[in-house]
Amino acid sequence: MSIEFFLDGKAVTAQPGQTIMDVARANGINIPGLCGEKRISKTTSCFVCVVKDKKTGKFLPSCSAMPGAGQEIEVTTPEVLEMRRTALNLLLSEHNGDCEAPCTLACPAHAAVEEYVRAAGNGDFENALKIIKERIPMPITVGRVCPRFCEKQCRRNIDGEPVAINEFKRLAADMCYDTYMEELPELTGKRAAIVGGGPAGLAAAYYLRLKGIQPVIFEQMPFAGGMTRYGIPEYRLPKALLDKEIAHFEKMGIEFSFNQKLGSNLALEDLKSEFDAVIIAIGCWQASGMRCEGEELATPGIDFLRNAVENNCVAPNPGKVLVVGGGNTAMDCLRTSVRLGSKEVYCIYRRSEAEMPAEKIEIHEAKEEGVNFQFLTAPVKLEKRNGRLVLTCQKMVLGEPDASGRRKPVPEAGSDFEIEADTVIAAIGQKTAAPAGIPVDRYGCFAAGEDGVSAGNGLYGAGDCVSGAATVVEALASGRQAAMAAARDLLGIPMEEENPINVSRGKWQELTRDELVILRDDLSAAPREQLSFIPLEERKTTFKEVTATISVEQLAKEGKRCIECSCSDKTECKLRKFAGESGCKVDAYSGIRQSASYDVRHPEIIQDRGKCIKCGVCVKICKEVVNKSLLSLQKRGFASCIGTAFNQGLPDSCRECGECINACPTGALDWRKKR
Amino acid sequence: MSNIVKFKIGMASCGIAAGGEAVLEALKNATTLPIAEVGCIGHCYAEPLVEVCLADGTSVMYGNVKADEKSIQNILALGESGRFEIPAVRKEKELLKVLALAGRIVPTVLDDYIANGGYDGLKKALTMKPEEVINEVKLSGLRGRGGGGFPTGMKWSFLAAKPGFDKTVICNADEGDPGAFMDRSLMESVPHQVLEGMLIAAYATGASRLVIYCRAEYPLAIKHLKIAIAQINEAKLNIFGDRTVEISIKEGAGAFVCGEETALIASLEGQRGMPRFRPPFPTDRGYQDKPTMINNVETFGNIPVILRDGGETFAATGSEGGKGTKLFALAGDLKYPGLVEVPMGTTLNEIVFEIGGADREHVKAVQTGGPSGGCIPVELFDTPVDYDSLRTLGAIMGSGGMIVIGKDRCMVETARYFLDFTHRESCGKCTFCRVGTTRMYETLERIVAGKGCEADLELLEDLGKKIKAGSLCGLGQTAPNPVLATLRFYKDEYLEHVNEHKCRALQCNALVDIALNKDKCVKCKICLKTCPVNAISADFEIDPEICTRCNSCLDSCPKHAITRVAKGDK
Amino acid sequence: MKKEYDFLKTIPADPGNLIKGLQLLQATEGYISEDGIRAAAEYFNRPEADVEGVVSFYAQFKRVKPGRYRISVCDGTACHLKGAPLIHEWLHQELGLKPGETDADGIFSLETVACLGCCSLAPVISVNGKVHGKLDRKTMMKILKEYAAK
Repeated sequence: MSIEFFLDGKAVTAQPGQTIMDVARANGINIPGLCGEKRISKTTSCFVCVVKDKKTGKFLPSCSAMPGAGQEIEVTTPEVLEMRRTALNLLLSEHNGDCEAPCTLACPAHAAVEEYVRAAGNGDFENALKIIKERIPMPITVGRVCPRFCEKQCRRNIDGEPVAINEFKRLAADMCYDTYMEELPELTGKRAAIVGGGPAGLAAAYYLRLKGIQPVIFEQMPFAGGMTRYGIPEYRLPKALLDKEIAHFEKMGIEFSFNQKLGSNLALEDLKSEFDAVIIAIGCWQASGMRCEGEELATPGIDFLRNAVENNCVAPNPGKVLVVGGGNTAMDCLRTSVRLGSKEVYCIYRRSEAEMPAEKIEIHEAKEEGVNFQFLTAPVKLEKRNGRLVLTCQKMVLGEPDASGRRKPVPEAGSDFEIEADTVIAAIGQKTAAPAGIPVDRYGCFAAGEDGVSAGNGLYGAGDCVSGAATVVEALASGRQAAMAAARDLLGIPMEEENPINVSRGKWQELTRDELVILRDDLSAAPREQLSFIPLEERKTTFKEVTATISVEQLAKEGKRCIECSCSDKTECKLRKFAGESGCKVDAYSGIRQSASYDVRHPEIIQDRGKCIKCGVCVKICKEVVNKSLLSLQKRGFASCIGTAFNQGLPDSCRECGECINACPTGALDWRKKR
Repeated sequence: MSNIVKFKIGMASCGIAAGGEAVLEALKNATTLPIAEVGCIGHCYAEPLVEVCLADGTSVMYGNVKADEKSIQNILALGESGRFEIPAVRKEKELLKVLALAGRIVPTVLDDYIANGGYDGLKKALTMKPEEVINEVKLSGLRGRGGGGFPTGMKWSFLAAKPGFDKTVICNADEGDPGAFMDRSLMESVPHQVLEGMLIAAYATGASRLVIYCRAEYPLAIKHLKIAIAQINEAKLNIFGDRTVEISIKEGAGAFVCGEETALIASLEGQRGMPRFRPPFPTDRGYQDKPTMINNVETFGNIPVILRDGGETFAATGSEGGKGTKLFALAGDLKYPGLVEVPMGTTLNEIVFEIGGADREHVKAVQTGGPSGGCIPVELFDTPVDYDSLRTLGAIMGSGGMIVIGKDRCMVETARYFLDFTHRESCGKCTFCRVGTTRMYETLERIVAGKGCEADLELLEDLGKKIKAGSLCGLGQTAPNPVLATLRFYKDEYLEHVNEHKCRALQCNALVDIALNKDKCVKCKICLKTCPVNAISADFEIDPEICTRCNSCLDSCPKHAITRVAKGDK
Repeated sequence: MKKEYDFLKTIPADPGNLIKGLQLLQATEGYISEDGIRAAAEYFNRPEADVEGVVSFYAQFKRVKPGRYRISVCDGTACHLKGAPLIHEWLHQELGLKPGETDADGIFSLETVACLGCCSLAPVISVNGKVHGKLDRKTMMKILKEYAAK
């Protein structure tokens, strides 16, 4: 006999045998639950599905509780949602695994690293490029100039060297970029103006087009590319390749309008009235000074680099060069000076090498090319004497760490000395020079709202002008974000939110080799594949690209070095899904986690106990549905786990069934081979 | 000597642990008179106890008896020294109903029990209709003594309502609360009384199976019960007309959660002792899927008394919040630890100070209900002890364990201790209990280590409430109680730990140093020799880095020159 | 079933008697061995994984061979208050054992038990089931010496 009761005040009818969860589902209310499985007897373990009996004040697991006549059940009150969130938070706090791989989490663009490494490693470059371009629309450039945030977090660092992740992008792009074409949706009629044709603007245009919005790029220079063209030297990114990369954007129907500078021959108000959205991506083009007397006598680093580009790398020999600064721009200036024929190139940096913000590889290659580094040296005064420049410097010592965590340099009294030079380049940093009408914050950057890109009224910002000078990959990520925000506002397409739940086993710096979870049999123990360099003499005298693209054979070998850290169940995992939907935090509770011990003795099935929620569904499936009873719950309390008799592992015959894998709410039991 | 007719010696677990076996041996060698090995009279602090029965029916008792020649001869000569008298206050306050025969009869002799009115209750029950028996139990107002406090008569009527006789009555003798030993004592001292209660239940509810689920840690209780069961079968006390009731005993295997009825049934069926969702309730589907009812040992111990005296007489004792008497296992910081039986509604003052002889100046609180219970501060000791009054204080009656906590005990450490127990005893099924109690335990560990913060206290309170609300069984539903209760009454101690890194009780080792007072020290060097880790130098400096705060030196110092002090103090 | 486990046949082969059977196994062998689990699984008609699950659930069952003298330190409430942690500390210093361990010579093994029910004699330990109460460091060391000398 059916009965009537109430769900959040609404009268509903339950048929005999229906649980509260069944009735809720029949009435369009989906109560999350991890351990309910219709084919087996009740497990009543996870308590994620709790509801509240209003009268008794008791919380009930809705997967197991049958409704009583007239019962008033609260399903979505804040109190009930908080209980659910707590249950999920507790489960997350003991969960020991990686949802996403650390490389993907480290990538500013959140590229699916493991996936494209696997595809390219297996020789499927087309697919690899497709995966890469979902996040990185300039793979030719990024594949060459990226500082490789991903590699710094690669767990193979435990063995000494990370997987050469960036080479996968470079080779996939070099091989397939010409032939690859996105599926372009029909245009919706919406149009967006993008001010700035650098990576942020290009990325914004790219993803807008993929949403059916027509982008028009307004660029102040005669060519597109922004800092990738005018800031990054030829020897790191050949302009021919950049041209090829940008040509593809035109192929996609993205319109460009050159020599258009906002605030001079381009008015924001006109753009606003003409377009449905305006994205500001004007970069950081104003060099910072050395902050010392005579600083105006120095050549700004970005001007120096632009000059070299504009003169097709045949600019005059700058003579004896002093480059003040320790970032990547400084390295570019130093190495460009070498190539322009300078025999005496000095880097003046006020801290020590360890604090230098430039990439290690850049410093190393600059040293190889003969650059002389003067660490713990700061400029005091620049003056012109007898036609030459004289830079007065003082020696520094490192004091206490400052806000950035780096030790602060302090002048050493009476240590002043002079250096003569022909050219002094200030590569201290860059700022945004925002024209009137652009909202700015106290640093002079584009003032974006909470989402990092929107300023309201159809105005968005992206790239360096929002963040301050950063990297290409960060600019691409920001451009994509702005495009997504515009698509949301113009077309009502919801933003593709990343699942905020990312449990991690920890950074490689905190892990030992034994703690790595290795599912693949064919993991290579070989060292990282090395790139071939052109001869040093050629490097010093020409602007030829310094390294050659990795070979297909090398890349296949390198692909086998990837541990494939991410969870095999990351897209299916109910815990991650519900936790993400419920506003959980992975660090809401801290404490010991389950041991990371895993079992790969079965050729096709992995038991990853650290991810188990102890619901016992697999045990009951094996016992009640498959009729085998190969699994059992073992131990008790926090230590309880799923195990086999004598810890023997699952028998080979299990490959024919897989019922426990289908039933497991997380990746604790899964097929071993990733797609 | 000629006056003496026989000796009784307390040979329950407490008596044996105190050295009863050696005394028995010595006595056997010294006399040919009969020596009865009896159970426990509840005065455990005085064990080994020897009662000398005289021809005139009176007796003389000797306490803390030693097995040496002198002590034994003193007893045989009815000497004055070493005589044991029950303290007068206790005599006045105590009301021995359930324990009337404990320690007075030989547990393994059926006739001894019968001669003292045993099985009169069963005989009387058999003259009544089953529903009349249940009515009598209902009339008595008896509530379950295992902790829950559910009206026993009502429970019986649920099982009785099920058709047929294929039903089981289980005696829950898995006394798992650390600090409780009422049930052990009853089973060891008066096993037939418990079984009589069970037989009456079988008759009244129509059950044909009786199962005792007893902790394996109680070998003597199991032995006595097994003997008693054999005697019952022999005497056919388990045959009601054409119905034979089968009695068996199963030993638990060490899992606190098996005190929970669905877990207990799973364990009886040879499974992991994990509770399951109810309904179905055991009365519908219990042991071997048949209707089943579970009562606790002490509950059954009350039944013969109810039948013998009548429900109304029984209900005349006690208070509104509970009828009859209640057994309490008194332990901790008091003079007379042991087993007491008092009318429900007796105040904590009476139990702890008057009966237990605890020092009023020294007592801080009492912990009732074991790891599921709470603590009650000494300021509230005028609370009458019954089901309802204790619950309003965030404590529970529990099965009757009562631990007196002195002022030199840290309440945070006490809470940590209980959570250590419960988080290890969690079966691991429910998320809130399995992970939540672990997180609470870790938080308490941090606090006693001086690494806590005020936010930790909020976490404890918030998580504690959620664990209570989000757990399937009594273990999880009560596990946070000791923390929530101490947070309620002793928040200042928690705050001292987290804000000042201070333990006022000087108990938390991480917040304590060992100090040697050189003015008192006589340089005997005993402490140097005692220190297991050589933390004391030749010039009597204690290295706090090496010292493990094990207290060995404190105990060994003849001048009491070594003390525990707050960390950093000298 | 191996012949040496014939003693299980004193118990009816009902699957519900598994715990009883395991208790008998442990009483006979001192612990639960892999062979013992196989025998119990076969005799009581229960999957081996299941038996392992039951064995590992209950504190009573040991999967490693205990020492000749099994020291159980009571950590019931009364004993805890009266110094069970110190007893552990002393035993650790003297024997180098932590709960759950057996010494190299197989003489002593150490475990913690919830409550021996002798709260009035706290703190207590039991050695092979024999309870020793009202312990301080001196009496405990004496007890250890006596057993070691046996």
